[in-house]
Amino acid sequence: MLNISNLKKSYSGKQALKGVNLSLDRGEIIGLFGENGAGKTTLMKCILGYLRYQGQITLDGQAITRKNIGRLSFATSEHSFFPNLTAKDHKEFYSAHFPAFRSKRFDGLLEFFELPAAKLVRRLSTGQQNQIEVILALCQGADYILMDEPFAGNDVFNREDFYKVLLGILEPGETVLLSTHLLEEVEKFIGRAVLLRQGQILGDVLMQDLEERGDTLMSYVKESYQYKADRVGKALSQLSDDR
Amino acid sequence: MKKLNIEKYIPAGIDYGQEIKWLAAGIGASCFYSLGFLFRFSAERGRLFQRVGLEKVLREGAIMADFPEILDKSLMGFGLLICGMVILAVYHYFYHYQGSKSIYLMRRLPDRWELWRRCLALPLLCTAAAVLLAGLLLLLYFGIYLLATPAVCLTPGQWQKIWQAFLPAY
Repeated sequence: MLNISNLKKSYSGKQALKGVNLSLDRGEIIGLFGENGAGKTTLMKCILGYLRYQGQITLDGQAITRKNIGRLSFATSEHSFFPNLTAKDHKEFYSAHFPAFRSKRFDGLLEFFELPAAKLVRRLSTGQQNQIEVILALCQGADYILMDEPFAGNDVFNREDFYKVLLGILEPGETVLLSTHLLEEVEKFIGRAVLLRQGQILGDVLMQDLEERGDTLMSYVKESYQYKADRVGKALSQLSDDR
Repeated sequence: MKKLNIEKYIPAGIDYGQEIKWLAAGIGASCFYSLGFLFRFSAERGRLFQRVGLEKVLREGAIMADFPEILDKSLMGFGLLICGMVILAVYHYFYHYQGSKSIYLMRRLPDRWELWRRCLALPLLCTAAAVLLAGLLLLLYFGIYLLATPAVCLTPGQWQKIWQAFLPAY
């Protein structure tokens, strides 16, 4: 279990995370949602140890160190691959550094998405680069796969394919934490939704519970965020009145 | 014997062939610049003699300039090269921010030294090569200085003077 307790992070005095508590069980697919600046990326970067933080993050009761960091993988819209290597080179690099690297899965996904194995990654389209990024995270052999807006730039069919593949290939012990704004798209694929707002957990719900209540993820998010549906109408009419 | 895979010692995807060419050029230029010592030495040695008819005769009481004085900044190229290696190491690190944030991957590798090995190996190797070459050239030039200078023209304590030139506090 990945356990986060009382996680706090500030950037030059401004608190980005205000005492986040969260537990991720093995085998879950969790959607992490929140407005821009809610702290989603900061949360992931703290988990991966890229940022200094206050609080505690443990993996099966152990602090995250070089000994167990291989159990976490990361796909980010900023991309963490090497642009001057090919997909094949990446396979070699990952195989050399992550003993649990899933070669067969890598080859299968590369083939499924028709990605060229021998072309430099920087020469691929943004959509293909996103695919490589996600494929590498999925194939590292990690137990916890963190994805931060991984599909920015991919078309809707491509994203849909990816969600399906994700569901199809993940093994019971693999956990995915997926940060995205595409609520409606992912709601069929995730088992749990976590909402962040201004550095705090605003909501944490199982999709099954939402379904049983006859609720949708979007309405749950709007309700949690106290979204005012008539906000736009009011603003527009105010603007017209001013004229 | 296991072949050394240089790609494991440089940032992944960097054009190391080009870097090695530049480093070789730097070392070559440093060696070439150091040849200035031979010209200065030859000129200084020439001043020890005077021409009598067709013969060159040692001037009476002629004293050869000290080795460090003739050496002057002949080995400066190596110093600059070593400074360049600091820049190269920094470039290697920031290479992981170019075109992507591969630094994220490097920072979460189970081997904590991988990033540093890839950033520092080539600059350190080149620094070691520069120090070694500079040392060898220093010895070679000193040997030439001692052997090609008439013994009566040498002032004592040349070794000490070399140390003083490199380590003023010595």
